[in-house]
Amino acid sequence: MTEPKPPGELYPAIEPYETGMLPVGDGHTLYYEVSGNPKGKPALFLHGGPGSGTQALQRRFFDPARYRIVLFDQRGAGQSTPSGSLEANTTQHLVRDIETLRCHLNIARWLVLGGSRGSTLALAYAGAYPEACVALVVRGIWLGRKRDIDWWIYGLNRIYPDYWEAFAGHLHPWERGDIVEGYGRRLGDPDPKIHMPAAIAWRSFDQRCSALLPKTGDPAPAGPRTLAVARIENHYVRHLAFLADGELLRGVGRFRKVPGVIIHGRYDMIAPIEGAFALARAWPEATFTLIEGESHDIGDPGIRRALLDATDRFASLD
Amino acid sequence: MPDQALPADLYPAIEPYETGMFPVGDGHQLYYELCGNPKGKPVVFLHGGPGSGSSPDHRRFFDPKRYRILVFDQRGCGRSSPTASIEANTTQHLIADIEALRRHIGVKRWVVFGGSWGSTLGLAYVAAHPEACTAIVLRGIWLCRKSDLQWWLYGVRTIFTEFWDDFANYLPESQRGDILENYFTLLVHPDPAVHMPAAANWKTYESRIASLIPKPGSEKSQSPRTLAMSRIEAHYMRNNVFLPEGALLEAVPRFRHVPAAIIHGRYDVICPAEGAIALSRAWPEAALTMVPDAGHSAMEPGIRTALVAATDRFCDLD
Repeated sequence: MTEPKPPGELYPAIEPYETGMLPVGDGHTLYYEVSGNPKGKPALFLHGGPGSGTQALQRRFFDPARYRIVLFDQRGAGQSTPSGSLEANTTQHLVRDIETLRCHLNIARWLVLGGSRGSTLALAYAGAYPEACVALVVRGIWLGRKRDIDWWIYGLNRIYPDYWEAFAGHLHPWERGDIVEGYGRRLGDPDPKIHMPAAIAWRSFDQRCSALLPKTGDPAPAGPRTLAVARIENHYVRHLAFLADGELLRGVGRFRKVPGVIIHGRYDMIAPIEGAFALARAWPEATFTLIEGESHDIGDPGIRRALLDATDRFASLD
Repeated sequence: MPDQALPADLYPAIEPYETGMFPVGDGHQLYYELCGNPKGKPVVFLHGGPGSGSSPDHRRFFDPKRYRILVFDQRGCGRSSPTASIEANTTQHLIADIEALRRHIGVKRWVVFGGSWGSTLGLAYVAAHPEACTAIVLRGIWLCRKSDLQWWLYGVRTIFTEFWDDFANYLPESQRGDILENYFTLLVHPDPAVHMPAAANWKTYESRIASLIPKPGSEKSQSPRTLAMSRIEAHYMRNNVFLPEGALLEAVPRFRHVPAAIIHGRYDVICPAEGAIALSRAWPEAALTMVPDAGHSAMEPGIRTALVAATDRFCDLD
């Protein structure tokens, strides 16, 4: 029995009933956890970044009485080891890891939910393994096209010139012609005096551009987690997310029969809404929910509610 | 009676104590009105567009007990005649008109207030006649650099995808590579059956992207006012507003001593925040207010409040 919950509010905080470390090859071992109802409908949450790692809050987008909720940390992220590793860390590796985890947990099919760069991975996974997906819920769509990367690294200067100046200004003027390479060199430097300030500057920009209103507090504290996320994000950006330009849109045909929900905030600046429109047009069978006045932030109330509505609806789907 | 539909932070609706039609040459006559206190501090309101014309709400940004408020319709728009004329209608003409009106009402110096295109004109005016300006209040900064025009014509699609599509798709596909020239051709076509729908479509685009939350009913009717706005805007844009690239930023040293307020909405999609910050960097003496939860419109709650606070502050200046 679940307590009655106001619509749009997250489900109560829960603890996993199972956690584990799953070796996936290439020296990578992934942290995973399962919570909710062991006999419930399987659901997978894909975190963003890439490299952000899972958070306990992400369990709460699913009714724990009806869902068997799987979270895991992608290669190099969160509690997965080795932390921050870029070796054998590509979109294709992550897609195969999801399958490895599904088989390990003896799950036939599951609901897949991904936000931000988790939506990228969800779409890549659904394109590769459509038969394993009961439904697909994607939020803050990021397609990893060249234009998406250009917007993130350069285009955001239009809206957040102050944040962008701090981001670009971290580099020497002669490095700014190729910001991604400039950061890549610094993030990969063995000297913490070089790599940690670069990680903080990279992550601060990403975080500040992801919310509608400025947040108080340090957007990216110094530490191994900030370093891991910055390194992995930069690695994926440098390699254009390991996707051919527009590959995810072209892949829609392989999973268009999977029930889908696309949720996007109008003022999602880090992953602008144009990508969501492009996906919705390529995939008209999916439900597209545009939330006016909200951003990339999963904590924005309209976005949260739309996600909960989607998982509640799909809980009764077979 | 205060207008209940409008927020309390604006001053109450008032009527002019004097109105007139003022000939400025080239066959143009400008509608102008004076309101507030005839012995108050003079202020001139510069409307946007170019071509939008004034509205009664424009009087309400100023304390009517302390200000003598001049509002006028720029060449070709509002109640000025001939309506929608683009003959002898350039930035330089408008600057001369402001000076002619200043002398006509017997004012030596005044506060200049302008938003959107009114900020462009305000900057061009203060650069030409700094000695006539007591202070200047600028909102929704539009510097009309090539990048600003490109953004308005194409870049907006990133954030208001569907509204841009409605705007661009009005033209046949082969013409969408040069939206401005192809719209202009329609807007100056002698047949109302051609120019009126194009004008309504142009203005609908602009109205839908002007506030943080798109307002229902922002679709524009086919009216002479709509035609004037659209035709004059397109005329100024295709002439790069009759200013050399970057001229306004370069002119800052001529007027940097004039007390100034720069007010901008972070999510101004018509005139992105980058322009306001570029101006602020060139003119650090001016007080910049970046309203975190506002779009372009002067009527956005945070913008209104900041505008009225600025005019209240400058009222005590000599």
